[in-house]
Amino acid sequence: MALKEVKTNDKHIRNLANIVGGARSILYHKEDLLAYDCDGFTIHKHLPKAVVFPKDTQEVSKLVKYCSDNHLPFLARGAGTGLSGGAIPVNGEVIISLVRMKRLLHVDFENRRAMVEPGFVNLKLTNSISDKGYYYAPDPSSQYCCTIGGNVAENAGGAHCLKYGVTTNHILGLEVVLPNGKIIEIGKNGIPDSPGYDLLGLITGSEGTLGIVTKITVRILKNPEAKQTVLAYFDNVSDGSRAVSDIISAGIVPAALEMMDKTAIEAVEAAAFPVGHPRDIEALLLIEVDGISAGINEQISQILHVCENRNVREVKVAKDESERARWWANRKTGFGAMGAISPDYLVQDGVIPRSRLPEVLSRINKISEESGLRIANIFHAGDGNLHPLVLFDARIPGQTEKALAAGSACLQVCADVGGTITGEHGVGIEKREEMRFVFTDEEIKAQTDIREVFNPDNLLNAGKLFPSPGRCAEIKKEMKEAAL
Amino acid sequence: MSITESDVKERPACTTTSLSNYRWSDPPDENKWADCVHCGMCLESCPTYELTGQEQHSPRGRVHLIKSVAEGKLQVNEQFMDPVFACLDCRACTTACPADVDVGGLIEEARGQIRQAMPLTGYKKAVSKLFLESLFPHQQRMNALGRLLKFYQKSGMQKVVRKSGLLKVMPDHLADMERILPDIKEPVRKKYKGEKVINAKGETKHEVALLTGCVMDVMFSDINEATINVLTRNGNDVVIPETQTCCGALHVHAGEREMGRNLAKQNIEAFKDAEKIIVNAAGCGCMMKEYAELFREEPEWQAKAQDFSAKVEDISKYLHDTGYEKPQAEMKTRITYHDACHLAHGQGVREEPRNLLLDIPGVKMVHMPDAERCCGSAGIYNLTNPEMAGEVLKSKMKNVPEEVEMISMGNPGCMLQMAMGVQKYGRNQKVVHTVQLLDWAYQKEDELRGERDGIKRSQNK
Ligand SMILES: Cc1cc2nc3c(=O)[nH]c(=O)nc-3n(C[C@H](O)[C@H](O)[C@H](O)COP(=O)(O)OP(=O)(O)OC[C@H]3O[C@@H](n4cnc5c(N)ncnc54)[C@H](O)[C@@H]3O)c2cc1C
Ligand code: SF4
Ligand code: SF4
Repeated sequence: MALKEVKTNDKHIRNLANIVGGARSILYHKEDLLAYDCDGFTIHKHLPKAVVFPKDTQEVSKLVKYCSDNHLPFLARGAGTGLSGGAIPVNGEVIISLVRMKRLLHVDFENRRAMVEPGFVNLKLTNSISDKGYYYAPDPSSQYCCTIGGNVAENAGGAHCLKYGVTTNHILGLEVVLPNGKIIEIGKNGIPDSPGYDLLGLITGSEGTLGIVTKITVRILKNPEAKQTVLAYFDNVSDGSRAVSDIISAGIVPAALEMMDKTAIEAVEAAAFPVGHPRDIEALLLIEVDGISAGINEQISQILHVCENRNVREVKVAKDESERARWWANRKTGFGAMGAISPDYLVQDGVIPRSRLPEVLSRINKISEESGLRIANIFHAGDGNLHPLVLFDARIPGQTEKALAAGSACLQVCADVGGTITGEHGVGIEKREEMRFVFTDEEIKAQTDIREVFNPDNLLNAGKLFPSPGRCAEIKKEMKEAAL
Repeated sequence: MSITESDVKERPACTTTSLSNYRWSDPPDENKWADCVHCGMCLESCPTYELTGQEQHSPRGRVHLIKSVAEGKLQVNEQFMDPVFACLDCRACTTACPADVDVGGLIEEARGQIRQAMPLTGYKKAVSKLFLESLFPHQQRMNALGRLLKFYQKSGMQKVVRKSGLLKVMPDHLADMERILPDIKEPVRKKYKGEKVINAKGETKHEVALLTGCVMDVMFSDINEATINVLTRNGNDVVIPETQTCCGALHVHAGEREMGRNLAKQNIEAFKDAEKIIVNAAGCGCMMKEYAELFREEPEWQAKAQDFSAKVEDISKYLHDTGYEKPQAEMKTRITYHDACHLAHGQGVREEPRNLLLDIPGVKMVHMPDAERCCGSAGIYNLTNPEMAGEVLKSKMKNVPEEVEMISMGNPGCMLQMAMGVQKYGRNQKVVHTVQLLDWAYQKEDELRGERDGIKRSQNK
């Protein structure tokens, strides 16, 4: 285990260690820091100066104040599952890890809300209240391990956000440590819509650039009375995508409407949670409806009907909860499953109008052919949130750059058809340049001006979210070094 | 990350073709980490990450560091050793990982490199040599140790020691272990020595070979006895190959892969005539199913190992697959089941032992939350990393339901650890092996039948 004493000549490390109570709560050896050189986005790697593990808001505040007073760049990190590099210390930051602040502080069933610390893992909330018949709706596929603090920062979505909305729709209050160390509370007593600016909305999705979230009050929901899940196999992608539009046009609001293409199916079937999908189909849809019992069956038969009209090869309803769970495990572990067919992947996160699905998918296919890299598609079809997964092998010289270019081209397609460049994974360092696909310089400046107010010295998570000419050059240099 | 100048200087000239800092044969396998996409889906499954919150103590972090050494970014040194040796080898990450990354295999290969780069010295070397080299592989010495322990218990010395306060001066974890020493009985290998086959009761349906295990046969010979009873009762002739030895799991976990290989070879030879090899210790079963992994550089032995491993089966799975007689007598007890890591994560055996228990009339099963969470035993981890092991045990014990009378499981290491938990946290559950419960149910049935027959006979008189 960790050494009991902090032995270093670096006074900052010693002082930071003192704030968090010693050697057990700080990492500063290169060997340990390497485990923090990236998050779920592995293309850029950078060593932090140190990683500190505060146990409460007071310690976070002191750490932040220390960094700010001493001009040390710093950033927050949850589980490090982010897919856009938000938690990568590109400036050699001090990483403030929130994972030890992981208590469920309070559940108020009467008013349907719960208060958690930021390191509390998403799925644990539902697991802690499900015996009473409640759940927490936002369900990113990484919910087994990502933190609610990270979800707030990225405004995470999930399969069931089609009907229930993304993280921001479920946040009632926040406690935030500002970049100068001051602690503020937004949405007091969990009552939303307070007068003044909508700071809750501003902080949620700000990718850890405006402050560090230390407490979160969320909305919890009563379990739906009934739930049914359908799996449909299609022989061609456009039939599958048309079925998606038809279902929504029929006036059904499914709780979830997910799609996987052939390459994605190959991966999930080769990985740890296969369910036996036929390998020769071009697309599958996973559709879930929930709500009060009355009417569910009718919705299901409507869905089956739509699928049949679109030449479905096979369509079935989950027999029981265990079958449903297996279908979902297969879907939710889809990104990780890429490891079974490719050493590395880069996942993109564009959003498009649903009706353009067939066209966009065929253009992505073309990008794949041109780049010579396979692209798998697993995505939230219902809300047009695409996840093209570019498969590559970083060990082969040139492939990383090719993958980045292919990913960027996919986003260009999304922007071209009137969509945008991120649905839920955030901009981070990955999509900074692509922000220009959707915003003018003035629009970007309006946003960086807001950052100035909260984060005037730009010490907190600098170099993320917005393109900045100076920084870009630096990153390129880093990439060159890394490639050496 | 860029490569610094000092890295370049430290790298020996002979490795110009490769950046790797693994300099010995049998290094961590590149294909294993190539599967890892750094998604983090394994984080929450890992007990050491749960306790520390630190990623170098997580599966993803460990894989990343192991890979970094191969990429020349890290040296094999003390600081690298810490996360690699703090791994419990519990394999929970293997279950959680969507990409099927063999984290356990990587860890063991890395440990092999560390042991060669930094051979143990002083006290640690002495302890390791004593247990791994001089004790576990030698049946006679294990038996002698058993006799010594038995003497210690029977002679009244145990009582004296317990009263004397001597325990207070022992390191905590050793004192804890002393308190839970099971009653030492006669090892089955000694008992059945010279018997070629222990015959099935009634018609013979199969013939199986039994691994008696090194620690198992000394500390828990009654479990081996129960296993033989249950097997013979269900139509199995049982053989106990004379030349079998310790399975080598503890050696491999400790990074002593060469010793592990030698033991593996001896067992492969010893069991070469067997059709099925039955194991009642999950840790041994898991190791024996993975022998091939040790012989990546010896193809001939690798093939033999694969054939061998295909024959290895846990007792509960074997009974489930070949069928067994459902006991008739009522046991009337509330129990809970703990998934031994090397059974659930290591061999994918989860439902079989539970069904076996549920087939005993009167057994009421109470669900243990997080039943698949490691108890902290993990081979000799509780000796080498007592602090972390203690914390893991603490969170395990919180999940043991209050109302049960027994905790059942399929691994002797877990049994010792859980018994320690029961003792330490003032609980009153009895810790049992699944197969023991089945054996007791059969015995009770026989007793009742005997009584009934007795009554009938006396009535007929
Ligand atoms: C396999 C896989 C599947 C995924 N599926 C989805 C999905 O379906 N939907 C989805 O939306 N995302 C998904 N993601 C992305 C990721 O899980 C989410 O972005 C998640 O919200 C990140 O949480 P984290 O705790 O890992 O945060 P981190 O990765 O540690 O951090 C992410 C960002 O948040 C900031 N941050 C973290 N904690 C705080 C805090 N307390 N205060 C302020 N800033 C903070 C960090 O600085 C960083 O910029 C997936 C990721 C993976 C690996
Ligand atoms: S070991 Fe598996 S679960 Fe863990 S990060 Fe790697 S791929 Fe993901
Ligand atoms: S084997 Fe267990 S302790 Fe080791 S990395 Fe995997 S989950 Fe963690």
